[in-house]
Amino acid sequence: MWLADALVVVAVLVITVSVYGLFRMPDVYTQLHAASKGVFLGEIGIICAAPLVADEAAITSRGVLIAVFLILTTPVSAHVVARAARMSREPMRTPGAIDESVGTGSADGALDGRLEGLLPGESRDPRGAGRES
Amino acid sequence: MHATVYAFASAWLTVLLGVTVVAVIRARSAPTRILALDMLVLVFIALLVLLSLRQNAPYLMDAALVLALLSFVATLAAARYHAVGRLFS
Repeated sequence: MWLADALVVVAVLVITVSVYGLFRMPDVYTQLHAASKGVFLGEIGIICAAPLVADEAAITSRGVLIAVFLILTTPVSAHVVARAARMSREPMRTPGAIDESVGTGSADGALDGRLEGLLPGESRDPRGAGRES
Repeated sequence: MHATVYAFASAWLTVLLGVTVVAVIRARSAPTRILALDMLVLVFIALLVLLSLRQNAPYLMDAALVLALLSFVATLAAARYHAVGRLFS
């Protein structure tokens, strides 16, 4: 059926663009767009081609299971990776990136946009180590 | 589905698999590597679904489902270990 053909071709194209985006993006935080949204869209495209082609109902039901699981867990893994990168002070190399997660550092906002501010959960204790260049 | 579409899509997904392996090796930081590993398993799941459609075999979809579960848990564990330094607090 031509619809299944078109779905598979478009899904493979989307996955190609996402893998290329993983290479081209300058930053973990922008690579997350490619890895979580793009590949997931391609996956759903291929799984949607399953009911049109499969002879057995077992394939379609398992495809639905995979799709539901991916819908539930792809945002969670993306968020966890972003949070881990932020908590390990991964620099934002995207030109023009503004770090809006720097919170309770100073009152006049002098620490906004720079990575030396406090992360959520830290406190301003006088520690010897910690300020990275 | 046409056999040429199957063949082309399977071959191209295998090439993308190799490209993602190169991305895992070339990653400059640990979160990028965790992300590239997750993407590697997702591309592999797409390839498995396509192959199961071609051969009309449901057991390949079982493998894809298990891989999705494992990749999710592994991404969570690796990210938590990278952020906090331990898995179970």
